[in-house]
Amino acid sequence: MMRLDHLPNQRPDEHVVLFMRRHWFAILTIVAAFILLTGLPLGLGWYFWLDVEPWVNGPVSGPIIVVFGSLYVLSVWLFAFIEFTDFYLDTWIVTNERIINIEQEGLFHRTASELDLAAVQDTTAEIRGVLQTVFTYGQVFVQTAGERGRFHFKNIDDPEHVKEIVTKLVEEDKKRVSALGATGHGKIKSTIK
Amino acid sequence: MFDLPDLGIPVSIFLAIYGAYMLFYVFYSLFNIYHLIRYGIYGFGLYLIVTVFTGGTIILISGSVFLLMEYDWTHSVSVDSAAEYYNEDLFPAL
Repeated sequence: MMRLDHLPNQRPDEHVVLFMRRHWFAILTIVAAFILLTGLPLGLGWYFWLDVEPWVNGPVSGPIIVVFGSLYVLSVWLFAFIEFTDFYLDTWIVTNERIINIEQEGLFHRTASELDLAAVQDTTAEIRGVLQTVFTYGQVFVQTAGERGRFHFKNIDDPEHVKEIVTKLVEEDKKRVSALGATGHGKIKSTIK
Repeated sequence: MFDLPDLGIPVSIFLAIYGAYMLFYVFYSLFNIYHLIRYGIYGFGLYLIVTVFTGGTIILISGSVFLLMEYDWTHSVSVDSAAEYYNEDLFPAL
């Protein structure tokens, strides 16, 4: 497991400034889907219990209903948890020297990449739509000079504030790099798939 | 002509389906938990998430096993009887 106080390839004097996941609205969507998919059939069963009861008590229909009902509820629970894992493992870490982008797509596809702050050319915050405006979440795009260089912080909380912090950190890092006269910066450092 | 034997399908065949699904479920759940522990951020939240998922799974599986124990799994369905459309013994609600 990863520790924020001990990042992979951590550099001397590097520290975490921002640690981001998608906005909590993403969890709300998963919870709402879970409640709907389990609550609706159970609620209908409860409401029409007098009609359903003979089926549930039947020697053949009863086991079939219970077996497939159990499989259904367990599948919804597992699906909700896999979606939550996807949410939980999608993270963006901004340190005073670099940006680390970790994206989980399903259980079998994970991408981790990083770029130096000094390579960033442009940062854009975008809030689009009623929900994003009301709950203040949206996208931040971090553009670099490299051809693959676009990081996308998806549906994060307060993108305007994040953009300001990233822009400030980029300026500071560029000053630090030019003071050091360092070379070798300016592109995405690594991509692991 | 000849007479077909009265074949019976045991209801317990559905338990086999349930068991096969449980194997899939356990495999997938363990893989998911492995992912969380391997790639998650160290902290109380991670342990809470794994505990909630494991606890929820135990409750759901226990509940379903408790319900399944209520039935007579030695019962078998006669193919001849099942072929009849209105069979109140098999499907009392019809």
